[in-house]
Amino acid sequence: MQHEYPRNGESTHPSSKKPKLSSKFITESDIRDEFSHHQQRVARINNGSYGSCPDSVLTAQRRWQLQFLRQPDAFYFNVLRDGITASRETIKDLINADHVDEVSLVDNATTAAAIVLQRIGRNFAEGKFQKNDTVLMLHCAFQAVKKSIQAYVTRAGGSVIEVRLPFPVNSEEEIISEFKKSIEEGKSNGRNIRLAIIDHITSMPSVVIPVKELVRICRAEGIEQVFVDAAHAIGSVEVDVKEVGADFYVSNLHKWFFCPPSVAFLYCKKSTSSSDLHHPVVSHEYGNGLPIESAWIGTRDYSSQLVVPAVLEFINRFEGGINGIMKKNHDEVVKMGKMLAESWGTNLGSPPEMSAAMIMVGLPSRLCLHSEEDAVMLRSHLRDRYEVEVPIFHQVYVDREEGVRDKDGFITGYVRISHQLRMGKLAKCFIRNEEAVIKVGEGFHGITCVLPASDVCCISQFLKNRIKGGQGAARKNWNF
Amino acid sequence: MASSLHDAPSAAVNGTSAAAADSKSQVHKKPRLYADPSPPLFTPSDILSEFSHHDPTVARINNGSFGSCPSSVISAQNDFRLQWLRQPDDFYFNQLQPKILQSRTIIKDLINADHVDEVSIVDNATTAAAIVLQQIAWGFAEGKFDHGDAAVMLHYAYGAVKKSVEAYVTRAGGYVIEVPLPFPVNSADEIVHEFRQALQRGKQNGRRVRLAVIDHVTSMPTVVIPVKELVTICREEGVDQVFVDAAHGIGCVDIDMKQIGADFYTSNLHKWYFCPPSVAFLYCKRSVNNSDLHHPVVSHEYGNGLAIESAWIGTRDYSAQLVVPKVLEFINRFEGGINGIKKRNHECVVEMGQMLVEAWGTHLGCPPEMCSSMVMVGLPACLGISSDRDALNLRTCLREKFAVEVPIYYRSPKDGEEGGVTGYARISYQVYNKAEDYYKFRDAINQLVDNAFTCASLPNS
Repeated sequence: MQHEYPRNGESTHPSSKKPKLSSKFITESDIRDEFSHHQQRVARINNGSYGSCPDSVLTAQRRWQLQFLRQPDAFYFNVLRDGITASRETIKDLINADHVDEVSLVDNATTAAAIVLQRIGRNFAEGKFQKNDTVLMLHCAFQAVKKSIQAYVTRAGGSVIEVRLPFPVNSEEEIISEFKKSIEEGKSNGRNIRLAIIDHITSMPSVVIPVKELVRICRAEGIEQVFVDAAHAIGSVEVDVKEVGADFYVSNLHKWFFCPPSVAFLYCKKSTSSSDLHHPVVSHEYGNGLPIESAWIGTRDYSSQLVVPAVLEFINRFEGGINGIMKKNHDEVVKMGKMLAESWGTNLGSPPEMSAAMIMVGLPSRLCLHSEEDAVMLRSHLRDRYEVEVPIFHQVYVDREEGVRDKDGFITGYVRISHQLRMGKLAKCFIRNEEAVIKVGEGFHGITCVLPASDVCCISQFLKNRIKGGQGAARKNWNF
Repeated sequence: MASSLHDAPSAAVNGTSAAAADSKSQVHKKPRLYADPSPPLFTPSDILSEFSHHDPTVARINNGSFGSCPSSVISAQNDFRLQWLRQPDDFYFNQLQPKILQSRTIIKDLINADHVDEVSIVDNATTAAAIVLQQIAWGFAEGKFDHGDAAVMLHYAYGAVKKSVEAYVTRAGGYVIEVPLPFPVNSADEIVHEFRQALQRGKQNGRRVRLAVIDHVTSMPTVVIPVKELVTICREEGVDQVFVDAAHGIGCVDIDMKQIGADFYTSNLHKWYFCPPSVAFLYCKRSVNNSDLHHPVVSHEYGNGLAIESAWIGTRDYSAQLVVPKVLEFINRFEGGINGIKKRNHECVVEMGQMLVEAWGTHLGCPPEMCSSMVMVGLPACLGISSDRDALNLRTCLREKFAVEVPIYYRSPKDGEEGGVTGYARISYQVYNKAEDYYKFRDAINQLVDNAFTCASLPNS
């Protein structure tokens, strides 16, 4: 069911209806082919950061790109708008939104945050909000979102409440309790909470947040608006925007929904206030509603927004469609996480039911991860030396807080492993008593690298010895 | 096709109104990528091949709108895309920033900026406008500016820029003044005169003029504006900041940041500089006045300077920003490099424009020295173009019935004017064009005229 190559700029209208599941499901070998463009030697266990895109979708994308280059004017006038609308319709059905007007396509969750927060900034500037009116967010919110709050809220005179997320976390109740506490605190100081920003799945450390419950609490507490940052959600957890009940909900499609970089949807529940949302890059479509504004922000390559129907075709080649994929990913990542935690004598960062397709696994305390810099260096080292791509989280312990220990000390580092299909190799990191063994295996074939025991006393020291000046240096480990 | 020798000084490409333009050609360092002998110049057949992905059935005489990109650059772009997809983390940590910096450095040399910090890469001029105008909005919000302080822009400013001014200036409490421009225009002096008057209006009632937005080459109708002179006037009159919107600038007219002297200058590289969609640069002169520029899409790089902020605005395809070195290689395989291309494009578009107005008995929208690689060509009055909608419908008709792609501009008649030219086509000339494209257009219009066609007969789409 590939696109017919349109001639003379005729409009193609890929069906937005979900195609019937194929009677013949995709095979393991098909999957390997679809992702054969991935660097094969790398144990790519970080799908969470930048996602992945199968070959058949890339092919569809190239067709759109060529079509534009062939006759851009005809494309602009006859093809583009309809193509974006078809993608938006597809998404509306996937997320259970009421109306396609509620669905805008933007580059990524970072852009969506700017849209929502820029309006907050305007509300302060125009006197709708008073100085010190408040925005509430999770302490571990994505760094870009934190900066966006700084740029648009703090700068405009607003204040911020950060909800501390316990980590490692043991139950949803712990999160709910912290959330309620923060709201109480805010209200007791006389603050008016204008917006709550809640991650559906936090990035670093990664945990699935009970968003539905937190949104309900926000409503009960009179918080004006709720924005759910669900960058990782679609394709890794079920997304039902009516169930969640937030005013705004954004998710990237290029992370877990097989779209090419980059495309995200921003859902805005219809209400009087949703009419004042604008894309910050203003084009001639200004004032025609956010979906229309976002569908033209100047000449650019919009092809990644046009392939959503093609992506659905790909997904429906899997048994159980996206639900089948999500379940498999979850089961596998939990299995792998438990295997690693057992091998290393460490822990998982959350119970399995609070993870989706990613999970945090404690690193042995013997690695002596004492800072962000150590985490960055270890990540680079794993990439450069062992061809394992995995982000590393440095856990800071507040004074007097009980940390989790392994047999040697406090666990201060966690890896965030992802599982997407079975396209890549499995990375197994074992650190046993006297040896550091990092094994990369695919099926029964393994490549083993052994670090001499004498080098592994403290990873910082080890890395400083091994890494020449300039390497591994300060590219901040902003995990996605 | 023989192009006429053009020994008049290229005043148009310098955008100056001074009659005595510098007869010496611009001396910019042409960034050299090889110490060895350069690769051979392109033959006509090479050029055909580089643009073989264009629809061959269409007379594509609208390079101005969406630009064009040769296949060798597209190929380079696809390589970068593949590198990202192959191992995105590694690309992010080790490749992306150095490669963007490389592109910025090349651009800095091309435009004669002082320092690479002054050069940010963004998607397009529309984005650049949002960046510049957002800081104006903050100026009002934070009380740096007084309610009613003014921004000045040309009446023919690009639609997106006008809306951006509405969104960020008017909404924040600013007062907007539009400079009316005569069209057809006869000399740069006419523009300078109108501009001076508008500035005076701006300063009335003790208002400060906080920003002037000046096109280097207007879009519709297209005219080369004497920006250097207008910037000088702005300085004389105490305008706080000058933003030159040169969407059509690089590859189309000569651009020299220090010569022009604006605070901000933006140009798309995908229009006339052979980059894929889409990439533009925003130049911001280093000064204490503009340390407060931010990309509106805020990432973790917020506060590290506009260039760094713009180089990471979340996960996206940055490949169009990385191919600038490859584009330079492409350009340097033309005789005279980009200057040769600009000169030939200008000569050819003027020649074709004159051919058309002769065939139709109309006129050009401006003198040749005020056009670049685009020119406005009057359409026969009998076509009856009497609204923007007519212009758009005629454009669609030309595309669908005659396979000619050209934008049409409606110029409302002045008071008392009757039966005059109300429609103009904006023709472009780029290296892939040939005379046949314009003959096809000539013949299409002639056929419409012969058939007593009028816009009134077109269905309203």
